[in-house]
Amino acid sequence: MYQLTDVTKLYAKGRRTVPAVRDLSLVIRDGEWLAIQGRTGHGKSTLLNLLGMLDRPTSGTIQLDGKDLTRLTGAQASRLRAKSIGFIFQTFNLVPTLSAAENVEAALIPLGVPAAERRRRVDAALESVALADRARHLPGEMSGGQQQRVAVARALVKEPTVLLADEPTGNLDEDTRDEIINLLEKLWRERGLTLVLVTHDTAIARRAQRVGVMSKGLLTIQAGAQPGAVTGPVSS
Amino acid sequence: MFFFTYLRRELRRRMRQAVLIALGLAVGIGLVVTVTAASAGVKQAQSDVLRSLYGVGTDVTVTGAAPKPERPGGAPPPGAQTFQIGPGGAQVCQNGKCHNPAGQTIDNLESAGYRPISQAKVAEVARLGGVRAAVGGLVLNDTSITIPKHFGQAGGPLPTPNSFTVDGVDTSHSGLGPLSTGTITSGRALRGSDATASVAVVDSGYAASHKLKVGSMVHIVGHSFKVVGIVAQAQGSSPPDVYIPLARAQAIGTAAGKSLKHDVNTIYVTATSAAAIPAVQAEIKRLLPGDTVTTAASLASQVTGSLSSTAKLANDLGRWLSVLALIAAFAVASLLTMAAVSRRVRDFGTLKALGWRSRRIIAQVLGESLVIGLAGGAAGIALGFAGARIIAAIAPKLWAIIPSSAGPHLAALGNGGAAARSFGPAASQTVAVPMSASVTAAAIVAAVLLAIAGGLIAGGFGSWRIARLRPADALTRVA
Repeated sequence: MYQLTDVTKLYAKGRRTVPAVRDLSLVIRDGEWLAIQGRTGHGKSTLLNLLGMLDRPTSGTIQLDGKDLTRLTGAQASRLRAKSIGFIFQTFNLVPTLSAAENVEAALIPLGVPAAERRRRVDAALESVALADRARHLPGEMSGGQQQRVAVARALVKEPTVLLADEPTGNLDEDTRDEIINLLEKLWRERGLTLVLVTHDTAIARRAQRVGVMSKGLLTIQAGAQPGAVTGPVSS
Repeated sequence: MFFFTYLRRELRRRMRQAVLIALGLAVGIGLVVTVTAASAGVKQAQSDVLRSLYGVGTDVTVTGAAPKPERPGGAPPPGAQTFQIGPGGAQVCQNGKCHNPAGQTIDNLESAGYRPISQAKVAEVARLGGVRAAVGGLVLNDTSITIPKHFGQAGGPLPTPNSFTVDGVDTSHSGLGPLSTGTITSGRALRGSDATASVAVVDSGYAASHKLKVGSMVHIVGHSFKVVGIVAQAQGSSPPDVYIPLARAQAIGTAAGKSLKHDVNTIYVTATSAAAIPAVQAEIKRLLPGDTVTTAASLASQVTGSLSSTAKLANDLGRWLSVLALIAAFAVASLLTMAAVSRRVRDFGTLKALGWRSRRIIAQVLGESLVIGLAGGAAGIALGFAGARIIAAIAPKLWAIIPSSAGPHLAALGNGGAAARSFGPAASQTVAVPMSASVTAAAIVAAVLLAIAGGLIAGGFGSWRIARLRPADALTRVA
């Protein structure tokens, strides 16, 4: 479970200070699917980066399963990211010189998994996204949808508890978009992941259990969310 | 292994840049190897020259002091022969008594510009601390001049003296001295049993020009010596023409008219170790204060000519050129590596998002740089070999001008005693030395170390960039 308390992230832009996230307090339960919408530059990706420890808040605390992420060292954050958090990016972010299998394998390297076990898990991950026949293909030899499926396999091969997806369908056509979202939803249900998904697409957002809207660094949970979920503004 | 797979793929992707960096390093390293080879070749040439003078294993050489210079027009040393030309014709004078040498051959075997040293001093030097062995020798010049019967008429040309060098060798110590550097090409060397025999070993060049072979006779101040061997010395050296046993040289040689019995004019010394040489030199100077004590190092500093100029060029200019080329190569490699890292910032940000620690990513980049560095080093070694070959092929012969004491002279007075000319050996000898350049094992090791250093320096700059990378910033970069 994530617990964010009064989290603020400020960026210096020349003489000005820009608040990317402002006084955000939020609880994300285990196994929950939270979608975050909002216009470009209003703090969605920043929030995702904070949840994934790719950035540190200027103030406030972020706890994951009781652990204060803001107090972790770089090495501890890397270890936790390697073990528990999967990322999916809008631009897929596959290493262009590595094959699909090797890109998926890259996620297991920091865990010190033996080579034979790595191979087995990579094969299983690619199988789960129906890309076993593309294992040896380079990203440049695959379509956008296939690349994003490889990215999904890479995110899930380490069996994380949290999946953070930043506009996973932003660079895809409509059919492929549905394909990817269906895949994510299926894997979320099967594995009981905590899924935080940033999207512009309202149709996609509505498939989530809860929808929040980021506007100028403030997060508002929309009315009509799942029962038991927090509604109303969550930034003080 | 994943590490090598990723490394190989990235190098292949940036092949052109990798080749450029490797070539830059190759040029720098190749220059270092070539300059080192040239320096080694010049050093070898210098030591060949020195070795030919003093022999293998000679660490210190003692030579008798130079004779006191004669005042122009002054009296010759007692016992010395002088040759005069005056209105009455030619005259040979000794100890105030003169006679007309017309139709005669005047032959002198004189100490070649060194004053004698008592042979007892050789044993004293051998007993000094740090000395492994010491042997004495006599370096002599045989100068002969044949006066024509009707010599002395006005306007007639001066007769030309003939001279050759004679080295008196201690036959009981064949491993030390000038004869030890040579290779016997015919016959045999001088043996211990030859100590008082009238036998000689002749230099191959002298033998060829005078049509001498084993069994021939050479004549030294009227004494006949049988040639028992022909010796070839190092190319470019200026060896003595004839080697005879020391005792025979002492019996027939003179110094300023005095007998050289129980005297030498050169002592060859071997030290117990290279570290002992300076102390041995100092001790001998104390024992023989008036004489000249030289080591190979001090003689090397006196050698002039194009050999020493080339040595300076290779050492000074060559070294600085190599350093500058290396700095430029390392700088270019570092800049290109940093540029490559900048282009891969999003990849590295993604790997950090996957949980890769900075040091793992740094190891990857360092590995790539090291491979490029080693490739550059291999190419540099090849370039170095090529450079050394080119130098050996096109470099001109070098000249070493080695100072040596003036030999005996015959003073000739012109009509009325107005002018004086002297004959005798030159005050220095010029030795031709072929220039070679050889790549040494040390140069190859240096090249490999430079290649590794170049790779690590370039990778280090890239690594610094990675260590400072914030994943959130990296992930927003457009590929």
